[in-house]
Amino acid sequence: MSVRASVLAQFERVAQEQKKTLAPLTDDLVLLESGLDSLCLAIIVAQLEDALGVDPFSAAEDAEFPVTLGDFIELYEHAAP
Amino acid sequence: MRNVLVTGGSRGLGLGIARRLTAAGYRVIAVARKESPQLTSAMEEAEGAHPGSLRFVACDLAEIDDLPALVTTVRKDVGPIYGLVNNAAVGFDGVLALMPTSQIAQLVRVNTLAPIVLTKYVVRAMLADGGGRIVNVASIVGFTGYRGLSVYGATKASLLGFTRSLAREVGGMGVTVNAVAPGFLDTEMTQGLDGAQREQIARRSALRRLPDIDDVASTVEFLLGDQAKSITGTVLTVDAGSTA
Repeated sequence: MSVRASVLAQFERVAQEQKKTLAPLTDDLVLLESGLDSLCLAIIVAQLEDALGVDPFSAAEDAEFPVTLGDFIELYEHAAP
Repeated sequence: MRNVLVTGGSRGLGLGIARRLTAAGYRVIAVARKESPQLTSAMEEAEGAHPGSLRFVACDLAEIDDLPALVTTVRKDVGPIYGLVNNAAVGFDGVLALMPTSQIAQLVRVNTLAPIVLTKYVVRAMLADGGGRIVNVASIVGFTGYRGLSVYGATKASLLGFTRSLAREVGGMGVTVNAVAPGFLDTEMTQGLDGAQREQIARRSALRRLPDIDDVASTVEFLLGDQAKSITGTVLTVDAGSTA
């Protein structure tokens, strides 16, 4: 599964688990308008670390949290596994 | 077997907590800089009764950058972390006006920054796993005053504020966050107190004695257990009535 597909799968899984209505997952979707709250995003980061073996937010000293879904996916695509 | 990470688990109160939890059926991962002889013998004892129930992981918690890898390694080795007991602390005393700034920084780093950052990585996994328990070991010095303990007191008070707000943040996901505030215990940390000071603290407490390590360890066990499922964001004081 590609990094992009893994990320999208986690968004859908967490939305379902937390009973949230997810907005259409386009690259320009603003994360905080996706229907998920910040705690859900924390769960996604934790699950992606298990799935992909990488946590770009720990690796970079002062990584800013990305604004859009496209930025989020890109961060994972560029993070070394 | 539920996994519980106990920091500072090689000596004093942390070792007492590790022993108690092991006996109660948890698998304890004791984190400390070095494996102490006392921990080695506790691990041997535990091996006889409950094999694999007490493990040691070496980590200097003051090395904040090492904390994410610590959590990743523990989860890889033993599976999901059910409980985290933030017990490790340093207890330098001294009047503030003469305390070296490096010592002040070390107190804040080990007693405040390290448990907060460690909790960040553990709680994230707990959220993904659907629940967990966090117990922060504070101190009565976090809400009462003792000469020579202003910085230590500041770090312990910080854990109380951390406990309350984090409890609000993660409660909806099934994670409880509580603190235990022990009074003065008879451990290496209080060796600086002389016999007369010890007696004075005991005499002034409601029960006319000091609490012992097991009094505090059993409180931690309670907060980790199913009986405490509806308790979060609170502080349990175990001080034999010192602050009553």
